[in-house]
Amino acid sequence: MLEPHPDLTTHVIHGLGWLYTVMFLMNVGWTVRSFNREGHYDKILGFQVPHLPKAFVWAIYTALLGLLAATHLAADGDPQDFFFRMPVALKDAINVVIANPISFFLLSILMFAAMIWLRKWLVRPTVGWVLLNFSMLFLGLSMTDYDFRQIVGKPDNVPIVGMLFIVGYFTWLYFAKAVENDRRIAAGEPKIEDEQADQVLVWPDLVYTEMICMLLLTAVLIFWGVGLDAPLEEPASAVKTPNPSKAPWYFLGLQEMLVYYDPWMAGVVLPTIILVGLMAIPYIDFNKLGNGYYTFDQRKFSVSMFLFGFLPLWVAMIILGTFIRGPNWNMFGPYEYWDVHKLEVLNNINLSDWFWVDQMNKPLPRPGAEDGFAATALIILKREWLGLALVAGYLLVFPPLGAITVFRRFFVKMGFVRYMVLANLILFMAALPLKMAVRWLFNLKYIVAIPEWFFNI
Amino acid sequence: MAKEKLTTAEILAQARQQGAAGSGGSSGDAGQPADPPAAADPQAESAAAGEAASDAPAAPKGASDTPAAPKGASATPKSTADILAAARAQGSGSSEKPAAAKPQAAKPGGAPKSTADILAAARAQGASGAKAAPSAGDDAEKPAKEKPAAKPRAAGDRPPLEEMVRRMHEGKPAETKPARPKLPSKPPLPARRPESAVSRRAFPAAMIASIAAIVMTPFALGMGLLALIGGLWSLLGARFMMPNMVVELPSQFKVGPPSDLPPGAVSEKFKASRGVWLVRSDAYNGEDIIYALASVCTHLGCTPNWLEGEQKFKCPCHGSGFYISGINFEGPAPRPLERVGLRLAEDGMLEVDKSVKFQEELGQWQDSKSFVALG
Repeated sequence: MLEPHPDLTTHVIHGLGWLYTVMFLMNVGWTVRSFNREGHYDKILGFQVPHLPKAFVWAIYTALLGLLAATHLAADGDPQDFFFRMPVALKDAINVVIANPISFFLLSILMFAAMIWLRKWLVRPTVGWVLLNFSMLFLGLSMTDYDFRQIVGKPDNVPIVGMLFIVGYFTWLYFAKAVENDRRIAAGEPKIEDEQADQVLVWPDLVYTEMICMLLLTAVLIFWGVGLDAPLEEPASAVKTPNPSKAPWYFLGLQEMLVYYDPWMAGVVLPTIILVGLMAIPYIDFNKLGNGYYTFDQRKFSVSMFLFGFLPLWVAMIILGTFIRGPNWNMFGPYEYWDVHKLEVLNNINLSDWFWVDQMNKPLPRPGAEDGFAATALIILKREWLGLALVAGYLLVFPPLGAITVFRRFFVKMGFVRYMVLANLILFMAALPLKMAVRWLFNLKYIVAIPEWFFNI
Repeated sequence: MAKEKLTTAEILAQARQQGAAGSGGSSGDAGQPADPPAAADPQAESAAAGEAASDAPAAPKGASDTPAAPKGASATPKSTADILAAARAQGSGSSEKPAAAKPQAAKPGGAPKSTADILAAARAQGASGAKAAPSAGDDAEKPAKEKPAAKPRAAGDRPPLEEMVRRMHEGKPAETKPARPKLPSKPPLPARRPESAVSRRAFPAAMIASIAAIVMTPFALGMGLLALIGGLWSLLGARFMMPNMVVELPSQFKVGPPSDLPPGAVSEKFKASRGVWLVRSDAYNGEDIIYALASVCTHLGCTPNWLEGEQKFKCPCHGSGFYISGINFEGPAPRPLERVGLRLAEDGMLEVDKSVKFQEELGQWQDSKSFVALG
């Protein structure tokens, strides 16, 4: 009877009841809005219907939510027999997709591409509302799983879940404003920002806003501080590393880079390039449009490039590091038990190993302990020539290639120096997913591996 | 006695009163020397300008109006701009003629609205300085017309602009050039107030002592507190020098006889306390040897765990994996785990020496100090 890891407990069911109550109330408001603003159906699936308000769909959905909330709140039987839980088949399917790095990364890229392609459809209020409801329902349904609760309900991780909703909202808000502006620009109408006054009063406009923000933030912090205990761990020890050992959430993107790169590259060089590159954006940006107003069509390249670096390469890596990476830094599905002994058979080899041992059937050339610097350098050069050539080719071939093909217009407008900066920044950004891909696909560890000098790429 | 204890503010206020009385009473007395020069200048200059105007023979009418004007201006110099403009007016008046300077002097007197006003005044000043007097008068008139708002206000302090322009036209500048000093000579220091001298003579020694005591008490209190706090901090500093720590263990230590380790064994006994694994294996080069691996991942220094089932060391930070031999095979670790020194001591015990390390990629695992061969 006593299940150590119960998927459902009475507490969880009642808590979910409150979540569904909140959703019910939200949708009552949405139904009213829909009734006031949206029209009527005269035909449904080809059948004539008598002038039915579109809000009736929302009314039905809201009623169902109300029923769901009441059922949860009134539940007092054995929680193991409760009917509303996530189907095991769905859990397994999601686990398979999420726990595999290739499908996880492909999924995030696909979602990113879909977000850009479907932006005009995505920014409709109804679509946004449906997405919000869907994500909340999905979260509520997932909460019926013990392992999901363990990882998402960890006091460390609760704010991250909240922040994911915030990232989603603000991305949606940007696209909503940009799409509207793009429509207006195409139609020759004034932009949203042109219709707004370019000045607001400090009092009352700004001061009231600030005060409300201050009160809300204080309230949130107080409830957060009272509700969630600070997650303290055992005393630190130099010889004992927690398993898994995770960086602060905002550095999980870096930690993910460290899985694929040498600490010198992923810990020093690439972060520096990220920071300097972000600072360089104003200087390499030659597009004068989009200054002071939201737009996507006028800044397609800039916005897509930035969002690619931010959403799939940073936010998705934070999600991956927070929720997916488990003991021994293995990947676990969201409904999967964090088994310390989960076996992942990996045998990563360096490019030089592949070339010399697998292809040439020769032992790897290695400098002896008594070799001088020049002899060591020559041996290393001979050993790593393929990787060095690949890296040099990547950095030297692509910029000119781009300048005469896809980035021809950029090159003409930007001039040599700015174009080269842009091209190199893009190449370094692309280096992360490329290295990830070759690690997953070919089990490649390092393209250039010089452990003698602590230099690996 | 009470006079002796005047605060700085009171002394300043008194000085200002004196200065105002001095400049109001006689145009020569331009205020107390204690006044800051910036405050003294406009009074002195405007007073001098008034003087010059009344001296000018070409402007006999102005003599009746002008004395009132400098007073109004000198009582309340409105801003630095006023002072600067007055100074410029003063300069030009001495070199060319006083009447030309007047429009400018009048305008800043009426609180210039902006930098533009000041600049206009300065330009008019330059023009009147460079050209002959009649045209200078015309030039000086222009900025005044451009800023009609300045007129009514100027009328309060100075004669109306038309009046001044008319006077200027009437006047013959070459003849009316007044020979007067650029700045009024500073008056001699006012005599020391008599009561001050009297009270100083009457100052009793007891009073010095009591004042000294009053002054010294907070001083003594402050220094005492400082000494106390300083002492406490010194004690804390001394405590800081003796931290609550475990003294580092010697880097050489015995770990038991080789017979403790069956073939293929990884002993984690000394991992928590000393950071080494003892391994007996033939995985590296086929020889049955015992070696000690440092439990520090070669990627970023986390402590890997020995997974018996998978027969590998696995790092929890970034997923690096090492075979039982210490060779890296998965994850980002760029090189094998490091061996530390191991030898068979004279008493038959294995002795680890953590002060030396042996790196495989440098060929140091061939060193006989890095392992103990069996059989």
